[in-house]
Amino acid sequence: MSSVAEARAAPSRARPDPERARERTLLLLAAPALLVLGVLFVWPLLRLLSMSVADGTLAQFEKAALDSLYIAVLWDSMEIALFVTAICLVLAYPVSLWLVQAGRLGFILGMFFLLLPFWTSVLVRTYAWMVLLGRSGVINRMLRDWGLIEAPLPLLHNLTGVLIGMVHVLLPYMVFPIYAALLRIDPDLKRAAEGLGAPAWRVFLRVTLPLSLPGVFAGCALVFVISLGFFITPALLGGGRVIMIAMLIEQQVREFLDWPFAAALATVLLAATLVIYAALGRLTGGQAHAAR
Amino acid sequence: MSIRMTRRGVLGTSLAAAALPMPALAQAKPDRIVVNISGGAMTNLFRRTYFAEFEKRHGIRVVDTSPVDFGKLRAMVESGNVEWTVTELGGQDFVRAQQMNLLEPLDLSIIDLSRYPEAVRNTTHTFPSSVYSTVMAYRTDVFPNNMHPKGWAEFWDVRRFPGPRTLRNHPVDNLEFALLADGVAPDKLYPIDLERAFAKLDEIRPHVTVWWTTGAQPAQLLVDREVVLASGWNGRFYDIARRGAPVAVEWQGGSAKQNAFGIPRGARNAVWGNHFLQVMTDPKLQAVYATELAYPGLHPDVMNHVEESVKPHLPTTPENLAKQFWLGVDWWTEHGQRAQEAWNRWMLRRG
Repeated sequence: MSSVAEARAAPSRARPDPERARERTLLLLAAPALLVLGVLFVWPLLRLLSMSVADGTLAQFEKAALDSLYIAVLWDSMEIALFVTAICLVLAYPVSLWLVQAGRLGFILGMFFLLLPFWTSVLVRTYAWMVLLGRSGVINRMLRDWGLIEAPLPLLHNLTGVLIGMVHVLLPYMVFPIYAALLRIDPDLKRAAEGLGAPAWRVFLRVTLPLSLPGVFAGCALVFVISLGFFITPALLGGGRVIMIAMLIEQQVREFLDWPFAAALATVLLAATLVIYAALGRLTGGQAHAAR
Repeated sequence: MSIRMTRRGVLGTSLAAAALPMPALAQAKPDRIVVNISGGAMTNLFRRTYFAEFEKRHGIRVVDTSPVDFGKLRAMVESGNVEWTVTELGGQDFVRAQQMNLLEPLDLSIIDLSRYPEAVRNTTHTFPSSVYSTVMAYRTDVFPNNMHPKGWAEFWDVRRFPGPRTLRNHPVDNLEFALLADGVAPDKLYPIDLERAFAKLDEIRPHVTVWWTTGAQPAQLLVDREVVLASGWNGRFYDIARRGAPVAVEWQGGSAKQNAFGIPRGARNAVWGNHFLQVMTDPKLQAVYATELAYPGLHPDVMNHVEESVKPHLPTTPENLAKQFWLGVDWWTEHGQRAQEAWNRWMLRRG
């Protein structure tokens, strides 16, 4: 049996493999970027991680893993990141669908509003939300003037405020991957489905949605991972009640200079992120494959 | 042939330079020094006062950087790549900066502290730049006719003084305020009884709608009427009150502390850092600074150069100072991390 496989494999090994050559060229082209990443990102990251075990024991991890405070905050951070990802997804999908079929003017306008948060500093953006969402902020005053509410809605200095602020910043990270995936879908596929008598909702469920899943996965992974590291927005819009793990790491780094413990917390966060990332990848990857 | 001559010439010159007496090298002026401060309005004011004066006196340009970052200071010193000639030291960090050996000793033959208060005159590594205080502030339209809470016990009294409040999202000051509210005498605050402080904080917790993180927040929250009572740094309230906001400060129970500057260990032009700190001892410049930001320097003459109308807003005028306590920096240096963890845990406990 094995000789048959070998015999089958042999011709392809003998011929110069164009796929291989192409891969090698790409790798060569990517080399400078990989080198920069290695020196400026991977190496410092490894040094940071090694700091957590610098004393030769796992004492720092013991503290991070056994102290209920840090477990609770890590769990909260995951939950918030999940919320943000879900809200972004719900908002971004229709926006992406609309962008794909929008005219030139619509596209430019849409992109402008999506990218606007990128051009503003985090602090300015966050203070702007305070003006809008406060007890006597624009939104509450408007709702009261219209007689819709009597007491101001608690929109700021709680989880609601944090979610609004974070979704605002992270929405583009969800829109662009989904938009790119939708753009890649061959319009003929949709036309074929329609031609075979599928109603619009079925075309969407059986063709558009499955084919856009890689974009959805990429967007979710991006938003989730970036959410986990947020700390200025939750610190300001959460009114102190919302604590995310990045805020505690920053506290250890800057205020207490307890770098080994900060490194341990960062390692735990990184590990948790990678596990979730892998799980998400497997889940969505499997679905996308099945759809094909 | 000519090349060899040149080489020999170069060699000769460098030998001559090496043979020069040391003082000539020590006096070599850098073209600039780097001073790291908090940034914002403070930078503009430093530029107008201390930076301008230093540039005039010594002919060396001052480059400013910000923000003040204890972690960065440590990283700089430990990696031997010190960018700053002088840096401000935030909050209670100056004691730890010295303990962790992150600072050059000050040259008190350059910095003249002979007329400074005795408590700070014998400093070795940290320059006492100014005094600030965490104080209570209130809306004057909500509490008119001097009917506002006077002290932390009344701040805690939500029946007599209703309305949302803001306190800092940090154990420093708040634990002291809670103990004062609970009837502890100002001179009996330390060592802090954590359990008692947090039990008292439990009472005020539902009425604190915002736990602030940046210095601008409490002032803004008062202006927006998000809250009617706040704790915050006295200069921030002074600033908005001067610009017409209906906000005033109650000094009773204020937490006074000194701001400090230091020279990072291994700083390249440490000598000129000392000269810069000497410029900062000038009481006239300190008066300009106090008038603009309400953070007075510690030179005893500074009050002679400040207008009468400004004095009630400074933490160091005698009647204000009598109402405040000095923050226990030593206690916080030793127990800060433990207190912070207790604080985080308390924050997380209920909603």
